[in-house]
Formats: sequence, C-alpha cells, structure tokens
Amino acid sequence: MAKDKAELLEKMAKSVVEMDDDLTVELAQEYVDQQYDGYDAINMGLAKGMDRAGQLYEEEEYYIPELLMCSDAMYSGLEIIRPHLKQQERSGKSKIVIGVVEGDTHDIGKNLVKIMLETSGFDVVDLGRDIPPIDFVEKAKEIHADLIALSTLMTTTMDGMEEVCQILKEQDLTERIKVMVGGGPISKSFADKIGAHYSEDATKAVKLAQQLVKEEIRC
Amino acid sequence: MLTPKERLSLALRGNAVDRPPCICPGGMMNMIVEDVMDLTGKSWPEAHTDALLMADLAAGVYENGGFENFGVPFCMTVEAEAMGAKVNMGTRINEPRVTAYPLQSVEEWNKLQPIDVNAGRAKIVTEAIALLKARNPDVPVIANLCGPVSLASSLIEPMIYYKELYKKADKAHEMMEFVTSNLIAFGKAQIQAGASVLAISDPSGTGEILGPRGFQNFAVPYLNKIIAAIREESEVGIIVHICGRLKNIYSGITALDSDAISFDSITNAKALSESVTNKAIMGNVSTFILEKGAPEKLALVARQCVENGVTILSPACGIGPKTALANIRAIVDAAKSMKNASLNQKTCIL
Repeated sequence: MAKDKAELLEKMAKSVVEMDDDLTVELAQEYVDQQYDGYDAINMGLAKGMDRAGQLYEEEEYYIPELLMCSDAMYSGLEIIRPHLKQQERSGKSKIVIGVVEGDTHDIGKNLVKIMLETSGFDVVDLGRDIPPIDFVEKAKEIHADLIALSTLMTTTMDGMEEVCQILKEQDLTERIKVMVGGGPISKSFADKIGAHYSEDATKAVKLAQQLVKEEIRC
Repeated sequence: MLTPKERLSLALRGNAVDRPPCICPGGMMNMIVEDVMDLTGKSWPEAHTDALLMADLAAGVYENGGFENFGVPFCMTVEAEAMGAKVNMGTRINEPRVTAYPLQSVEEWNKLQPIDVNAGRAKIVTEAIALLKARNPDVPVIANLCGPVSLASSLIEPMIYYKELYKKADKAHEMMEFVTSNLIAFGKAQIQAGASVLAISDPSGTGEILGPRGFQNFAVPYLNKIIAAIREESEVGIIVHICGRLKNIYSGITALDSDAISFDSITNAKALSESVTNKAIMGNVSTFILEKGAPEKLALVARQCVENGVTILSPACGIGPKTALANIRAIVDAAKSMKNASLNQKTCIL
C-alpha cells in the first residue's frame, strides 16, 4: 500500500540517522515510484536525516565512524533521487572549492565538511588533499566559485592557507571569493590574521558558508 | 645532578626529580627544525633515508641546547611504507606522507607485507638509534611507533577504515591484530638497538574521532598489547600520545598501561591530571605559540603547563620545522629553572 509523502520523508530521514543504506534506497525508490517531488526528498528527507546526524555528532552521541555511515546511507538515497530532480533545481547553487593544503594528507575533517555542505545544497568541488595553494585559486576562478574551504591538521601546513589568501589579494579576488578555514591547529585569531573565516567543525562550517554567500560578511 | 636519561626515567615512573625534564619524542612528535638543519648541515628529506644523517640531525637538537633527548624517526610513515603504502619523502620543511594505500578494504588485510626490521627505513631507524646511544649515554634515546589505529588508517583510505570498523568489525579486528603484531616487532627492534624510552603516537585513534566506545574497543586493547609485549622485552619507559580533546576518554586513558600520557594543547592539563592519576602527565606547550610566540611568552606557557600538573614538559604535538631554536631553548631553559616547583607538583599529583 502506498505510504503518504510525509511518512516516507520521515522514514527516509530516520533510515539515514540509523545508518541503514538498504532501507534508505528502498524508501527512496518507493518515493520516486509515487512520483513525489525529488527536491523535497532531499530537503525534507535525506538532508534532514543528515542534519540530525550532525546534531548527534555535536552532542557527542555520534562520532566520525557513525557520521560517515550516515552519509553513506544519505548518498545511496541521493543516487536514486537525483535523476528525478527538475533541471533548474540542479543549477544555480553556490559553488565551493574544498581541499587540504599541501603537505598534509589528513582529510577526514575536509570530507566531513564536504558531506555536510553537499547535503545543504552547495555544489562542492573537492580537489582532494596535499594541494598547492595556487590550485585552489585557479579552480575557483575556473568554476566561478563563491568560496574556498581549506583544511589542515598540521601546524606545518598553515602557511599554505595564508598563501591562498595572499594570492586572492594579489589577484584582487578577495571580494568575490571568500575563504573559510578549519582543522585541528586553526583558531579564529589565525583566520582573522590571514583574512579568512573560521569554522570549528563540519556543522558550523555549513552555517558559516550559508552566511558568507548570503550576507557577504567582510573580514 | 641527574643526567637527562635518569631524570626522564624517574619522571616517567612518577618519582620525584630535581625539576621536570623537557623532551620531544620524535616520530609524529617532530622535534626537527630548520635552525638545527643549518647548524648540523644535515637536512630533510635526505635524513629520512640515511642512518648517519638521521642520527646527526636528531643529536643536533640536544647538542644545541634543545630538547633533552634524542628521538627518531622524524615521521610516522616508516611502518606504513614497510607494509606496502607508497610514501612521498616530503621536502626540507614538509614531513614524509603516505600517498597511496595498499588496501581497498579491511577484508584484504592479508595482502599486507609484514615489516622487515632488517630492511628499508626500519633498518635505518634502528641503526640511527644505535649510533645515538653510542654518541652520548647520558641522553635518553626515544624510539617511536605509529599507533595501531593510525597505522591501519595509513594502509587504507581512512573514510573506508572508520566505517568498516563497524560494518566489518571482525575483519577490522583481524587487521588490527596483524598491524599490532608488526608494531611490536618494530618496537622491539628499536629497543634492542638501544632506545631507553618508547613513544607511541596515535593521532587517528582519538576519542574525538572514534568516541569513547570506539576508543575503548579499537585503540586501548591494541595499544596495551604493544605495551605489554615491549615490557616483556625490556624495562623501558613508555609514552602514549593521543591528539585532540581527551575529556570524554579519561577512563580509556586511565586503562592504558603506559607510564605517561602525552596530549594536545586543546586538552586542559589540570583537568586531565586530576582525572588520570596513574600516569606521568606530559605536555602540552602549544606548537602554535612555540612557532609564532616570543621566548619570554614561552617561558610563561611552560610554567603554566607545570602549574597545571604536567610532570614532563614537552610540545603538545609535533613542532613546525620553521620554529626557532631560540623558542625551543626558552621552554628547555624554563624547565631547567623550575627546581622546587616541580617537587611540590609531584607531591600533589602522584
């Protein structure tokens, strides 16, 4: 028997929080079979589940393994939903270039931020890890990105973040492309100093990114 | 007057000493800076693959008024490379790092090569330890191991690894057993070569990443297995370094059988020393202040650490190679001037 839309959405959110890939796929399939709206499935189902997972992470109920398993469930549902999105819902999103600066190969934090940003509707281009500063700027120019998000876990690679900000300044791009930074050794005062915006963790990064593209906060 | 080796040995065991030792173990807890490269004429990346260069560079820190120990290697990629990971040796100022993993899933763990302690960089490290021991018997030589979770997540993409800890728990534990037995072999080889202290750093196996339950299940048992096996071999002092906030894993830290717990600047030394009472408390001078701060400020930070319950003074993490030697000297000199304060601290903590 056909379940109603709200019920399916709630179940999808729950199956994401409960890290159940198979159930999420099953529910997403049932949802598209009913020809309900794809955009709502993401916003009010999958993303809502990921949101709750992020909240559980902030409350220290969930940790990184749990959050990654939730995101697996979310992405597997997304694969079913995506072909059913209307065209205009797929374009016009804010674009973010993300990566780990050169010299560091730790990218768990970056991956979490990426997951949360994608869930919240950003178009995220992931350069990966160990990335030279100039590459961030080049890619951001190429795709007309609004933001560059940089992560590092090592004190030794923080200079690379400063270099990205420096290159943007030299090319007179600081107004157009904002920089957000995060990771173990990074502090707000460091971010302020180099002309970037600081985010403490993945869920706060989403709020910061939303503010930065909306209100165009100045450093 | 105690030698640096005697002082560290006593402090690790919780005995009263004239003043806190000031050390930096090596391994993930890097102590090599450009100033020392300039003074010794030896530098990265060459020193990662040559025992003589490695020993000279490590000794250059102590011999120029720096930390009161020798410590090798200068990275945490020796074990992963020996087991099949591809490693980029980095540059003069960037540490070596893993660039390709040999495994796609924990299920494939039996594809891993065992560490051959008589080959490659494992052998270079043990040779460097022997050279350092001969160089100055009064200075403790600290051997280093990559922690078991960090090694496992250097052999497989960490995103996959962390998920499979739960999705494929049996296979994940099998892999952890194998990784642990290899760490034991390399640890023993370093002790046999002459190290008097072993430091195990597990930046990927933290309470912040795994949570208290994960830390208890996947970090503590394997760390303790290594510690027990090393103790069977020799009476060396053992340090465990865990990154990140420790407040949710005090009981896990207490359950570790190491002599000392070393920790990040983000963790409050006072709260830790009040909650973990069965270990020497080692830390936790911010590496950011160490690199960017002035020497006078560092002397204050060092004092603050000791006032908060630290009994072995050290940086909170590996230090950046651009850190000035003068700044390292500032915290070492601060430790040297501490005399009575440390004794008072001792009696209230231990």
